[in-house]
Amino acid sequence: MNPVVGIAAFVAVTLATAAIGFYGLRISRTTGDFYVASRTVPPWWNASAIGGEYLSAASFLGVAGLILLSGTDALWFPVGYTAGYLMLLLFVAAPLRRSGAYTIPDFTESRLDSKAVRRVTSLIVVMVGWLYIVPQLHGAALTIRITTGLPSWVGSVAVVVVVCLTVVAGGMRSITFVQAFQYWLKLTALAVPVIFMLLVLAGTGATPLAEPVTNPTGLPSAGLYQNMSLLVALLFGTLGLPHVLVRFYTNPDGQSARRTTLIVLGLLSVFYLFPTAYGLAGRMFAPDLAQSGQADALVLLLPGRLIGGTAGDLLSALVVAGAFAAFLSTTSGLVVSLAGVISQDVLGGSVRGFRVAALISAAVPLAFAFSTDSLALAGSVGLVFAFTASTLCPVLLLGIWWRGLTDAGAIAGMVTGAVLCGGAMVAGAIFGSAATPFWLAQPAAWSVPAAFAVMVLASRATRSRVPSTTSRVMTRLHTPERPLETVRQTAERQSVQGQSSER
Amino acid sequence: MTRVRVTAPRSAARPAVDSREAAQESEVGQVFVRSLIRSQLRLGIVVAAGFLLILVAFPLLLGLVPGLAALRIAGIPFDWLLLGAGIYPVMGISAWLYIRSAARNESRYRDLTEDKG
Repeated sequence: MNPVVGIAAFVAVTLATAAIGFYGLRISRTTGDFYVASRTVPPWWNASAIGGEYLSAASFLGVAGLILLSGTDALWFPVGYTAGYLMLLLFVAAPLRRSGAYTIPDFTESRLDSKAVRRVTSLIVVMVGWLYIVPQLHGAALTIRITTGLPSWVGSVAVVVVVCLTVVAGGMRSITFVQAFQYWLKLTALAVPVIFMLLVLAGTGATPLAEPVTNPTGLPSAGLYQNMSLLVALLFGTLGLPHVLVRFYTNPDGQSARRTTLIVLGLLSVFYLFPTAYGLAGRMFAPDLAQSGQADALVLLLPGRLIGGTAGDLLSALVVAGAFAAFLSTTSGLVVSLAGVISQDVLGGSVRGFRVAALISAAVPLAFAFSTDSLALAGSVGLVFAFTASTLCPVLLLGIWWRGLTDAGAIAGMVTGAVLCGGAMVAGAIFGSAATPFWLAQPAAWSVPAAFAVMVLASRATRSRVPSTTSRVMTRLHTPERPLETVRQTAERQSVQGQSSER
Repeated sequence: MTRVRVTAPRSAARPAVDSREAAQESEVGQVFVRSLIRSQLRLGIVVAAGFLLILVAFPLLLGLVPGLAALRIAGIPFDWLLLGAGIYPVMGISAWLYIRSAARNESRYRDLTEDKG
């Protein structure tokens, strides 16, 4: 591929991101703006932003790559990534918004009235965020290497630098605009080349849709256990993703949090049609990428292969731009939520602290990314979902729906899930993908139930520790907002309280 | 440009107790709240179970009905269409039904509690 194409695409996305970030910066003035965009973002914007933030390297490059490698088995990935939002809607969206907390640690602390729970939750949120940023940086490294021929590290470093600049400058308000823009950019970047490729194929009429079921690598297909375990991880992992949850606080009330989720489901459903199309087309026209271990580059290379000349270059540039939008948006979303947690818990919650925390949140996974190899992108993100499903998901679900949860139970369950799932991930990394037994490669099917069981049993055993505030908090989580009070009045009331607590 | 220190309380964005919450903490108030929570949880579980049944039915259908996997519509294999596209409308419809019913549960709760004055 022409190296100019890749560099031009990256620069264009960066400039667009910076421009929108700057536009947002001019209206990001107050305390609330900095963390959660003042809760004034309309549902369509908010849903686009959630989509923009959620569709990461794994969705943009990894899903198509995995479909190329393993065919219909890999179709469970986009299904799970989307269905996770259905679970989020059913069990978390509205109550979490009504809790009035900014972050997951805020939620667990106020629900269980315990600083210790807060600290454990914060630690896990930071681990999840770092684990999730690493594959984004691997994706950036791959994209830069494939499209420009520059060394891999340039891609990771470029993404980290751009993200730090945006986050440090603008906070959430500009992030919301940037993310919303990036959802539509990613959708366009995948959809337009697909349409062109279909036109070209229809024009030549050369290859009918021959044998997409042929297996280019000869790998055995995944068993029932792997598919089901993956589905558990993806369905329940989405519930606990810190960068997704922080978006729900930007809805004005519980019912609009639900409407936002419905729109997100629609946006994701439309989006995932395209990686699936790339994977299917890749099985027909580019099976050699699977054999040469470059499956994750399928989305980047296919338009150039099927459509030559300037048109091919332009379409490739569009796809590369979309890929960078994916790395940038997910990484910046994660960095914002991690920085929120780190600055509140360690650095005292000032804007300056937030900025320092943002730098820390981006620098650590960069070091990780340098010291680890890129696995299949969708697979490594799948493991992060298994980790959140085993740790944050039980504490959120039981915290929202079960009065019997205690601080001791929550900590015991989260630690169990983290040790089991984290242990499986480490063991998998040591054994290598070929030697890892199947139940260890996909731990969610046993680590998630184990975390739930320990959390319930430990809470039962420490029944006397159920906080006295439980009734009041449960009421707040589940009762609808007072219809008489408008959003503006709520905001005013809160700002008055903010000022009075300052004195 | 003005820079503002982040001074808002970290959690508890709403006041600890207002008059409405005090009323809800009465014994009668708690009966309504508990029944609202139960009905919302039941609704969530019913919708989730329904969706998961359909999801699991898809691969079973492909496995049990011979020839279905070999079927092609516009050249695309049927199993790819089913999992790659057909499942998404099911999700959308489940979500839409849930939102309607959840809002209905809440307005029923509101009617009950506001009658009390």
